[in-house]
Amino acid sequence: MTHRIVGHTIGRLDGAGKVTGADRYSADVTLPGLIWGKALRSPLPHARIVGIDTSRAKALPGVLAVLTAADLPDILVGRRMFDMPLLARDRVRFIGEKVAVVAAVDPDVADEALAQIDVQYEDLPATIDLAKALDNGAPVVHENAGAYEGAPKERPHPNVQSVLRFKLGNVEAGFREADRIFEHTFRTQLAHQGYLEPHAGVVAIDADGRVQVWASNKMPHRLKELMSLALQLPQEKIRVNLTPIGGDFGGKGSLMDLPLAYHLSRVTGRPVKMVMRYAEELMAGNPRHPSLITMRTGVTNDGRIVARQVKSLFNSGAYAAFKPAPSVHLGGAGMGAGVYRMPNLLIESYCVYTHNIPCGHARSPGEPQMVFAGESHMDMIAKELGLDPTEFRRRNLLKDGDLLANGHHLEEVRAKETLEAALEASHWSTPKPGPWIGRGVAMTHRHIGVGFTNARVRLETTGNVTLVIALPDTGTGAHLTLRQVVAEVLGLAIDDVQIELATTDVFENDSGVGGSRVTHTGGRAAYHACEKLKELIAAETAKLGTPGASLAAIAQAAAREGRTLEASHFYDAKTHAAVTSFTAQVAEVAVDPATGQVSVRHFTTAHDVGTVINPIGHQGQIEGGLIQGLGYALMEELPTEDGRISTLNLGETKLPTIADIPPLTTVLVEDAVGPGPFRAKAIGEGSISAVAPAIANAVADACGVRILDLPITAEKVYFALRAKEQRAREQQS
Amino acid sequence: MNRTIRITVNGVAREVEVPTYRTLLDCLRYDLGLTGSKEGCGVGVCGACTVLLDGRMVSSCIALAVFADGHEVTTVEGLAGDERLHPVQQAFMDCGGFQCGICTPGQVVAAKALLDTIENPTEAQIKEWMLGNLCRCTGYYKIVESIQAAAKAVEP
Repeated sequence: MTHRIVGHTIGRLDGAGKVTGADRYSADVTLPGLIWGKALRSPLPHARIVGIDTSRAKALPGVLAVLTAADLPDILVGRRMFDMPLLARDRVRFIGEKVAVVAAVDPDVADEALAQIDVQYEDLPATIDLAKALDNGAPVVHENAGAYEGAPKERPHPNVQSVLRFKLGNVEAGFREADRIFEHTFRTQLAHQGYLEPHAGVVAIDADGRVQVWASNKMPHRLKELMSLALQLPQEKIRVNLTPIGGDFGGKGSLMDLPLAYHLSRVTGRPVKMVMRYAEELMAGNPRHPSLITMRTGVTNDGRIVARQVKSLFNSGAYAAFKPAPSVHLGGAGMGAGVYRMPNLLIESYCVYTHNIPCGHARSPGEPQMVFAGESHMDMIAKELGLDPTEFRRRNLLKDGDLLANGHHLEEVRAKETLEAALEASHWSTPKPGPWIGRGVAMTHRHIGVGFTNARVRLETTGNVTLVIALPDTGTGAHLTLRQVVAEVLGLAIDDVQIELATTDVFENDSGVGGSRVTHTGGRAAYHACEKLKELIAAETAKLGTPGASLAAIAQAAAREGRTLEASHFYDAKTHAAVTSFTAQVAEVAVDPATGQVSVRHFTTAHDVGTVINPIGHQGQIEGGLIQGLGYALMEELPTEDGRISTLNLGETKLPTIADIPPLTTVLVEDAVGPGPFRAKAIGEGSISAVAPAIANAVADACGVRILDLPITAEKVYFALRAKEQRAREQQS
Repeated sequence: MNRTIRITVNGVAREVEVPTYRTLLDCLRYDLGLTGSKEGCGVGVCGACTVLLDGRMVSSCIALAVFADGHEVTTVEGLAGDERLHPVQQAFMDCGGFQCGICTPGQVVAAKALLDTIENPTEAQIKEWMLGNLCRCTGYYKIVESIQAAAKAVEP
């Protein structure tokens, strides 16, 4: 089916404010009388607070308030499980936890005030190492975590935050059918989402007591609910104003400093801005969970998987507060099954408390961890079986009607087509161009997001149409995509459709941005609202009695009678569709035998997609996610020593630069079977997760060493190569 | 200690009193209200705060405002003409060279400086020049494409 606007390449027409600097992000918001808030953070991973002396800070000229936990209500906050105090009360549980907050006339004075606060601590033993967190006698992070609101019931160890299980068939019986059983353990690192805009927010209290919020937060309505709970104010007392968000990648959904900004505003009577420094982001943001994953798989001699058991530990740090799912877990745990048919499966996943930075959601939460483990494991098994890694995969790929780990059955499965497309485009079967060069393949799939979105379309008297939504712009180009949907349905030009961003006063509720859902839920809401508007327009035209009347004339006729032609739709996707999106990726790498340095010579990414509404935005999601995956594979890490992150700036914490990007081939396996408008699927989280295992598998192919822990640094490859040489020498002698 | 400095910002002479420790970025953003330049890393690594000082790129988050006394500063707000975007800005929009936009002011300022210096840069020259401007959204492919398109557009 051909469309007039959907699927056509148009530039980022929505971006004039971004290329000219005119757009105002949260940190750019200024108000009369605005002052600055800053937080003092714990230097210890676990300690009792013996005393806090704020007298010198309070005496500093330009300081308007200094608050500690004693000045605040005894409230715990969170996105689903409420276990985090606004400021540490009696005890700190990670390096970077906030213990006091100041407000001052400018940020420099605020910094000076922080230096004048004297906190006395008494060191306590800490649980730092994930592998030891569930030992008997490990220092307990929260003595009575089960009593927290939203806490899951199952608590096999005091340091367990949540347990998630996925079960298909009978795994013990399955292993009895196996000819061979393989077990491998993988580790993944602590990694920040890497958005370049640190968390920022402004809170002001109007004369009538209304709380106004501007924040880098992608879920304005949920933010309003959470603020209402944190501030003990009714929701109607709070208004969240939407601002552009300077990168999200899962990380911009929590309260962060906003309740503190409110309390500073409450005691000073001034609007308060709080902007985290990047060092604070790295020590106290809500980064991607490190993991320790053991995979055990039973196979028959002809390469069919008969059973898999997965045990995963996710290092959640000191608080569960940043995790939004009702399970207080990471959905990615279910990806332990990969893209394969599992007749018998048991995944047991634990989110674990430690005295480290609390972790949160990052683009495809839990999936890069699980997919690295699973897809590395697949290649290691294939090698032992003497099978080509692609052939081993082919024998086990999901097909129509198969079950996912969560029990959902699948339709319209394009796993094999996607794999073959990636292999063909990467010239998989051609000879490799030289020694120390290897190729690796990896696959994953990503469900299409659920959630609920409101859309209102209004016919203006100019004949233009305004789409009112409460979805902030996180950068994906979603606003433009939604304009395309509206223009397509109503037969308008793209320039005749504009977006009006609703504050949280306009709609009752909205799930905001996340889970790759916006094109699906926002698109369907806009689509159906437009269908309703079309009916109104038809009725109005009939009433007017002039067939072919312009939209402007119709709207003006209605306006003369004091009416506005507008229609709304609330779209709620409660459950996941039976279709998913598959990804197959091939990395070709070169390994420097002298240094262990891995360079990616070429990368191929193939995606099973529905109707592509905005090709530039779609490809942008693929490329952006892929390079985040590349960084995760090769360089990104927040190394910690005794709970202290040792690389607290972006010079030492590596993110990929423009010089790190490999030549890229993208293949889209298009089939219009998605649940989105015009049968679109999701793409935002499809390209990140398989990159690391594709590279790990390519490194193994290039030089025969298997790296089981991310990132795959030159140092790790170097020592693995030296160990391999040593083993070879020992075998000879 | 405060000092009064005179800087020409985007062609307009400005006089402003600043503490001597004030960064050029904070001076632009908070004293002059030019919030286009962004603070990302705050340590001169990410490039979101890139401005031109007498035509040369500087990280304004680690440059002191007093060092700009008597000099010309160009920020992202100064690139477009009255009616038209600068070709670099237009190319970033046409090719999707940005997503969230937080690094974009620095990217377009750096790219303008590149094209002022090398008319028709090769891909390798683009990558070398733009090395100090991080972007977390795009994966950079469309930034390279945007700069190549802009180079074509400014060709005489």
